Order: sequence, then structure tokens, then C-alpha cells
Amino acid sequence: MPIELTRRDALSALTAAGITSTAGCAGFSDRTADASPMETLVGVADVLYPSEVEVTEEFIETFMFGRITDKEVYRERLTAGIETLNELATNEFGSAFLGLAPDERVSLFEETALRSGDSVHDGGDIEQVNYHILDELLFAFYASPKGGELVGNPNPRGFPGGFGYNPGVTQ
Amino acid sequence: MNETQSGEAQSSENLDRTPVEDADVCVVGAGPAGALLSYSLAKRGHDVVILEAGPRFDMEHRVDRMKLQIHPDRGVNEVWDMGGERDAYSMSGEQDWPLNKRRVKGVGGTSLHWGSVTPRLREKDFEMESRFGVGKDWPISYEDLQPYYARAEQEVGIAGPDNAPHQPPREEGYPMDPLPNSASDDLFAEAAEALDIDVQSMPMAINTGKYDRNQCQGYGTCEHVCPSGAKYTAEVHVEKAEAEGATVLTQTPVQRFEHGPDGEEVTGAVYKTPDGNTHTQEADVFVAAAGAFETPRLLLLSESDQYPDGLANSSGTVGRYFMQHEGALVIGIVPNQETYQGAYGPVVSSGIQQFYEGTAERGGANIMLLNTSDPSLAERAIDSSGFGDDLLETVNLYGNSIGTLNSVEMLPREDNRITLDRSKTDNHGNPVPDVQVEAGEFSEKGTEKAIQVGKDLIEEMGGNVAFVQGTTTDSDEFIEDIKGGYHPMGGTRMGTDPDDSVVDPNLQTHDLDNLYISGGGVFVTGGAANPTLTIMALSLKAADNIHGSLAG
Ligand SMILES: Cc1cc2nc3c(=O)[nH]c(=O)nc-3n(C[C@H](O)[C@H](O)[C@H](O)COP(=O)(O)OP(=O)(O)OC[C@H]3O[C@@H](n4cnc5c(N)ncnc54)[C@H](O)[C@@H]3O)c2cc1C
Ligand code: SF4
Repeated sequence: MPIELTRRDALSALTAAGITSTAGCAGFSDRTADASPMETLVGVADVLYPSEVEVTEEFIETFMFGRITDKEVYRERLTAGIETLNELATNEFGSAFLGLAPDERVSLFEETALRSGDSVHDGGDIEQVNYHILDELLFAFYASPKGGELVGNPNPRGFPGGFGYNPGVTQ
Repeated sequence: MNETQSGEAQSSENLDRTPVEDADVCVVGAGPAGALLSYSLAKRGHDVVILEAGPRFDMEHRVDRMKLQIHPDRGVNEVWDMGGERDAYSMSGEQDWPLNKRRVKGVGGTSLHWGSVTPRLREKDFEMESRFGVGKDWPISYEDLQPYYARAEQEVGIAGPDNAPHQPPREEGYPMDPLPNSASDDLFAEAAEALDIDVQSMPMAINTGKYDRNQCQGYGTCEHVCPSGAKYTAEVHVEKAEAEGATVLTQTPVQRFEHGPDGEEVTGAVYKTPDGNTHTQEADVFVAAAGAFETPRLLLLSESDQYPDGLANSSGTVGRYFMQHEGALVIGIVPNQETYQGAYGPVVSSGIQQFYEGTAERGGANIMLLNTSDPSLAERAIDSSGFGDDLLETVNLYGNSIGTLNSVEMLPREDNRITLDRSKTDNHGNPVPDVQVEAGEFSEKGTEKAIQVGKDLIEEMGGNVAFVQGTTTDSDEFIEDIKGGYHPMGGTRMGTDPDDSVVDPNLQTHDLDNLYISGGGVFVTGGAANPTLTIMALSLKAADNIHGSLAG
């Protein structure tokens, strides 16, 4: 029987691990330009995550920002990354990322080096988006009980869901 | 101040790194060997100073280091900032190891990186020559080391089975109950029963609750970083030593030892600091605990007019009889069987010790059953270029894998050795270590046996063997994980005869009265047990002797 981890369980796991004391109020929802970085992240996660998942700000606050240590440094990377993303969107479809229709968002991923290009922490603009935004979002999801459960693993590596999981496999 | 790969800043300039006055003991290296010895001596009132080449890593950034490990494009060496000129090396023999993925420089040493599998050696390991006519007997027996094993297990906090078969005699139980079985342990155990093979819990240095550090939280990334601190690292005993008054000077690579005019004693350890200065630490006793790759190099770099072949090397054996455990990996797919890899937490919880004994022709094998025989979900996701539902499908391709990882005995050979490569220098202009290793038939036969056991088990459970590598694979084809270097041993071996060994049974060098060596380098033969618990036991034994000599 798979363990159903609630958000509270997840938070307490991350807090017990000493890696998030302020999850849920990390302040990444501040409005900066037209849209908040968080809104853009939710939009990007919608493309990255499986369609059956409904992405929430809360999820990203908990599972992504909960495991980012240097939040100030990350905020700068995020701002730069979102700028790159908006430039790409504007070049392809004439609008910032959040202004794109769902199928345009998918096309943007298909037609640029987002995901398919290299992912380098100090690389070129798109390489940095891949590393600091897309890979972080994927880590947040596939190293969380929510992502893990979709493939039968409620405690994927990278998530501190306790030790000893064994649902019983032998007769 | 440099920002490192993990984002952790190494602020180094403003620490006081001047030598400690009136030190009793100077320990070079803050890995398990140096840490336990330092604590054991500091606790008894001796003034200990530890010189450590690497930095002190903070706990806060472990989660970033864990993410480096999971990221498919980041190398294992990046997890703990290894590499570059500081860590340059050569490999000129048959085997080519990625050395900077096999060691860590910093407080805790390579135990920051380790898997925390902690079996003891067996009685026969100390008597390979008299029992099988191969290798060489140790000058001490299992019984001599037994009380120190018990102390090391208590200090470190080992979860292990008290009454399992194929274990050497125990005087008391393990400090903690063994880890529970994982799903793959159960699958192996069921198949093993049909084949008359015993699957048993593996002793692991992981806190399941009793010890004064976080309890295991199931990140499943123990090797190469445990973000919770549940996995033992030697940081624990470095900090305990500091609490007892020891001083740790980080980022102070020792360049050489200096000796007095009569050549009987070491007088100082010459070290560099990040600001470019050179200092000399004086002490009554010196302990080289710089790991089995760097300790022989340090002795060779300490050559002098009196000792042109290096310090403590009158036997000519410094660097020789170097060993590792030959590795082998067997991965299988069990159709329609979810194996829950990566969901359990610790990378290993059980093993097979039945083939540990080996024969005169074939090395013994310590078979570890993997709980993480496939890449993590996040790593697979990031590695793929897909997204959305397609990506989920890619990630979901795994799920039925199972595997064994094997550690197999290799015999000591005179020509397997560490020398100086004088054509290449590190950031301080010192020649780098050159490692030359050839496996030999004894360990090849041992890996064949271990691989066969793994294959039989996987087939017995209805699985298909998907991937096999071991010493018999052409080493050019080795995947990186199987390339060796995990368990370096030998190179400064122990013995009673000063003509063919470097240290005596108390780890004191034959040549210099106040110089000791602690670490895997002193092993005479390697057995098949992961070496670190034995390293710890030996270092506690050496500490007792040093205490006696200082008190007297
Ligand atoms: C990936 C991996 C997994 C492992 N898993 C296991 C396992 O499960 N079980 C097991 O028993 N063993 C395991 N090992 C082996 C284990 O890590 C070593 O046996 C152990 O760390 C050796 O301890 P040590 O103190 O002798 O050396 P180290 O831990 O290597 O420490 C040596 C220290 O000395 C310092 N140093 C070096 N040169 C100098 C110098 N010139 N001046 C000052 N300081 C210096 C280094 O910076 C380092 O901090 C593993 C190793 C690796 C790489
Ligand atoms: S499984 Fe346990 S020991 Fe391993 S990394 Fe996670 S918390 Fe640490």
C-alpha cells in the first residue's frame, strides 16, 4: 500500500531534515514586473509535469524552494532565467511566456533549446534556464512523493520521507 | 572567498592557521583514521592538532551537494569540490581510476562520500599465508583487534545483526538493531533460499535513532552525500576531539615532514596556508593519516639527504603492496515485479557473506545487495530531453531492476604501487602521486564467482541479467562506477620485520620513533570487507599505544 503523504507530512519531512523552516512563506510570489516569478514557474511546471498534475504555488514553494539553500542567489538566477524565457517567447510568439496559449507554450519547448539543449549552471542564457529553472522544477517534482507515486515510488531519492519503505513483494 | 559548486562559500582567509604551541600530537588528515585517533587522545588530555588539506563543509549546503549528485551532468568529483591542480594525479598502470571521484579532502575525509557499509575482517584475513599459502600474514590476529572493533562500532554507531551466519566472533551485540529488509532484500532472500544461500543484514554506520545525530530520513543518497547527517562521517569525531580541546587547522596541506639531525625523530610537519604562507607544526608525536593515496606520497616527498628514498622507507616498501577491492556489478530486470529501488533509503541493507572465505586460488567476495540499482527518478527526468506526459513515460521505463555490488579480495603485489610522478606537479609544485594497479588472477576468479552468484539469484527470481561488469570485463569498457579506487589499502604495510614493512603492529614506523601511520595503507592483506571499520579499530589501537608512550 503506497504511503499517502500530505503536504503537511512533506513539510514536516523537509523541516525535520533541517532544510526548510520557512517553506510556504519564502516570498517568491512578490510581484516584480507584470507577473510574479511564481506565476511563471507555475506556467513552466504545467508544461514540464504530467498533464494529470495540477500545479500549485504551494507545491513549488514546498518542494522546490524548500530545498534551495541560498535563496537570494537563486532569486537573481530566477529573474535572469525568466527574462530569457520571456525573450524566447516574444521572439517566437510575440508575447511574454505567461501570455502564450497552452499549445504555444508547448511549441516553445519543442522549437527552442529548452530541455533539448545543454543544461549548464554557468552556461549560456538558455543553458542556464535549463539548469536553474527546468532542472530545479523537475527535481522538485520527481524527488517528491507526488512525482514518485506516479511511478510507484512514494519516497524517491532526494526526498527525506523516512527509511525502510517496503510494501511487501514476496508471497 | 570562493563560491564552490554547491554554492557553499569557503571563507578561508581570516582563520588563524598558525601552528599550535606545545602540541603533543600532530595528526595529518581529518578522515576516519585521523578523527578517531585524535578524539581518543584528546579525551585523555593530550594536546592534539589536526592539519587537514581540505576545508570544513557546512551542513546547510548538504542538500545542494545532494542535488549535484542527482544532476546527471555533474561529476561525482564536483559533489565535494574535488579536482584541479590541488588534486592532480597520474595512473600509469593497467587500471585507470577516476581518483578524484574516489576521495574527498576536507574535515571528515572520504567518509563524507562513503556508503557506510561496515563489516569486520574475518579471522582468516589475518592469516592468508599460513592458511592458503598466498599473500602474507598480519603480525596481529583477529583476536588482537577484536576489542578495538567493538569500541569502534560503539563510537561510530553501527546498525547490524548480532547473530548472523558467516560473521567473525562477536563479544557483544551491535549498538543498534539492523536496518529493516528492503523490498529487494526480500526478493533476494526468497531466491537465495531456493539456492541454499544466506542473505543477511549488512552492518551499516547509519543512525536509526539511538545516536546523538539525526536519524536516517531516507534520502537514498548516502553515497555520496547524506544531507541529514544520519550516515556517520568522521566529522563526528573531529568535532568530539575539538570539544576535548583539539585544534583543527583546515586548508593546511602538509608538504613534508622534517626530521632531526640523527634521523630518529620527526621534528615538524611543514604546511601551506591559503594566504600562501608556510608554517611548521612541531609536536612530540606525528601521525600520517592522509589516506592510502596521499600518505605514501607524503613520505616520499619527505626525502632528505639522510633518507633519499623518502621517510620511513628503509625497507623500500613505501608505496608497494598497494591494493584495492576489485568491484563487480550485476544488474537484472525482473519482469512484472516492482522492486522499489530508491524508495527505501540507505543504498545497502543486506548482503551475502557466504562466499567471503574464498580459496587458495580465488579471492573471497563480500556481496552487497543494492537498494538503488537504477538511477533516481529526478536524475532520469533531468537527463531526458522530454517534458509532460512523454517525460513521465520515460521516467517510468525503470522500476523492475535489481542488483548486486561486489567487493572482492585482491592479493598484495610488490609491483602494485604508488610512486611520485616527477613530470607533473600539484598547485604547490610537488610531484603528484602515480598509482599503478593490476588486478591479478586471484581477484579475477573471485569476481567471476561473485558475478555468478548474482546472476543465479536474479535468474532464480525469474529475472533477466541485463548488465554485468567486473575485473574480467575489458577495463576500457568499464562504466565509471565500476572503475576502481574505492577501497585503497596497503602501500605502508604493517609487519614485525623492518626489512619488509613500514610500520609495526602499533602503527609506529620502524624507522622513526615518533612517527605513526594510520589508515588503510597499513593493511597487509585486504580481505573483502569494506575497510573503514578496520581502519578505525587500528587507529584506536594506535591511539592507546601513543597514549602509553606519551604518558611514559
Ligand atoms: C564512494 C566511496 C564509497 C565508499 N564506501 C565505503 C563503505 O561503504 N565502507 C567502507 O568501509 N569504506 C568505504 N569507502 C572507503 C572509505 O571512504 C575509506 O576507507 C576511508 O575514508 C579512509 O579513511 P582515512 O581517514 O584513512 O582516509 P580519508 O578518509 O581519505 O581521509 C584522509 C584525509 O587526509 C587529508 N589529507 C590528504 N593529504 C593531506 C596532506 N598532505 N596534508 C593534510 N591533509 C591531507 C585529506 O584531505 C582527507 O581529508 C568508500 C570510498 C568511496 C570513495
Ligand atoms: S538514506 Fe539515511 S543515511 Fe542515506 S542519505 Fe538518506 S538520511 Fe542519510
